[in-house]
Amino acid sequence: MALELSIITIRDIFQDEAGKKSRYSEEYKSQSALIILDKQDLAGLGVKDGQSLLVKNDVGSVVVSARLSEDTHPGLAFMPNSPWSNQLVSDATCEAGIPGFKGIKAAVQPAEASAAVTDISEILSRIKG
Amino acid sequence: MAICTGCSLLCQDIEASVSEGKLTKAKNLCRKGHGHFQASFSERTSPMIGRKQVDLNQAIARAAEILRSAKSPLLFGWSNSTLEAQRVGISLAEKLGATIDDTSSFCQGSLMESILSGRLPSCTLDDVRNYADTSIFWGADPSNSHPRHLSRFSYYPRGEKRQKSYEEERTCLVVDVRMSATAALCKENLFRVSPGGDAEFIEAILSVLAGKIPRVGDKKKMIELGTMLKKTEWGAIFPGPGLVYSLQGNMEILEKLLARLNEITVFKVVPMVGHFNMRGFNELLREKTGHINRVSFKGGEIVHGPEQSVMTAAKSCDAALIVGYDPLSSLPFATAQALARLPLIAIDPHRSLTTDAAEVVIPAAISGLEAGGTAVRTDGVKIEFEPIIEPGLPADEQILKRIMEAI
Repeated sequence: MALELSIITIRDIFQDEAGKKSRYSEEYKSQSALIILDKQDLAGLGVKDGQSLLVKNDVGSVVVSARLSEDTHPGLAFMPNSPWSNQLVSDATCEAGIPGFKGIKAAVQPAEASAAVTDISEILSRIKG
Repeated sequence: MAICTGCSLLCQDIEASVSEGKLTKAKNLCRKGHGHFQASFSERTSPMIGRKQVDLNQAIARAAEILRSAKSPLLFGWSNSTLEAQRVGISLAEKLGATIDDTSSFCQGSLMESILSGRLPSCTLDDVRNYADTSIFWGADPSNSHPRHLSRFSYYPRGEKRQKSYEEERTCLVVDVRMSATAALCKENLFRVSPGGDAEFIEAILSVLAGKIPRVGDKKKMIELGTMLKKTEWGAIFPGPGLVYSLQGNMEILEKLLARLNEITVFKVVPMVGHFNMRGFNELLREKTGHINRVSFKGGEIVHGPEQSVMTAAKSCDAALIVGYDPLSSLPFATAQALARLPLIAIDPHRSLTTDAAEVVIPAAISGLEAGGTAVRTDGVKIEFEPIIEPGLPADEQILKRIMEAI
């Protein structure tokens, strides 16, 4: 089953620190390729903290790890601002020319058992076309 | 003492020693700053043309050739460069008839425009430390984005008029869609807004201040908020990307709130700029052209507007020079794709998705650590700094000058 969620990107100091050191490290990947979900949404998807989820919309898709939120926000999810979240951000902007980094709509579902968390090299090759 | 260019607070009290390619001593650095200093030893770039290693002179010559033959080049980045480099960048754009834009274009630009044009009252962070009894973090989470903001300026320190600090004399409020790390510190002073609901929330505050019942939010809590604002002697609001994105550039409503608050007491706005010298670029370009970002010098004329923003120009330009920034990681997928199709020149100390897709890569010294210069702190205070490491690499200022000479 898939859930339609709104995703807001956030800043995270651990991810920021890892990204300053290397965009290509496992540390940066593990701090970036994740989605923080409400307990109720996680249960609705039938997955546990740490399991892989496919997050998909008209712009693109990524496989990221599920994280259980310490807060309550059903229907709303958070992702660190990163190349992974940007795979889902449309280049359409509001009148002021700002893209919807904090208003991503996407379908979230458990990833297939064989699907690994999307690697940054895969993201770069998609960008390069 | 060293300066940290890891964020726009530009902390000047850093004690750091480096020996044998390692950071051997670090005092007063936050986690983000520590990452920034440690990064000087990892993933450094070297001069490249078409993914092949070349010498610096060849890379600079190739960069000049690409820019010279482009009909409508885009010069983008700039928020992680010194004022000196930014000044050369703006001259280069003028000389080339290019479009120039920075990271404020898709982030805090509208807020910065309101502040620099005086439509929002602002102050320095030193004023905040000395006078503020109420600090409001709005769509901002300094515990993650500006880790020493609360300890140096807005909550914990004792200031001239605030000798009792947070224990008795300072109140911190957070307006956010979530329980952020900063909100967790402020406990019951988190005011939740729905995503995109900040304009409505401002209307609700204006209603409460006018003695009316607010239409949104927990009415009792909104009335409490109104009372806290009225009782404030000297307040500061720190809008982050959360508020700016939610208002979609409509700063009028925020300006209206500040005008109303200042009828009652003192309230100032200090932006939460991400990169260390975004504000510097906005001030310089404004001085030169009257606009803080999104400017084209094509045909010797200054044109400003959404067409000149990186979001649009990425699709219409025929070459791009990217300085100190990684748009392929940070911009929406289709914009990153549009940039990757161009002949890209990346001037950057670090390897990134952008340098990996660039036709020409030019390594630069890291400003603050390996190169001196001047930058403008998030609150407008100009700060000069000297390097603490001699890297043997040119600063982006020198690289840009050499490109300009070659053109």
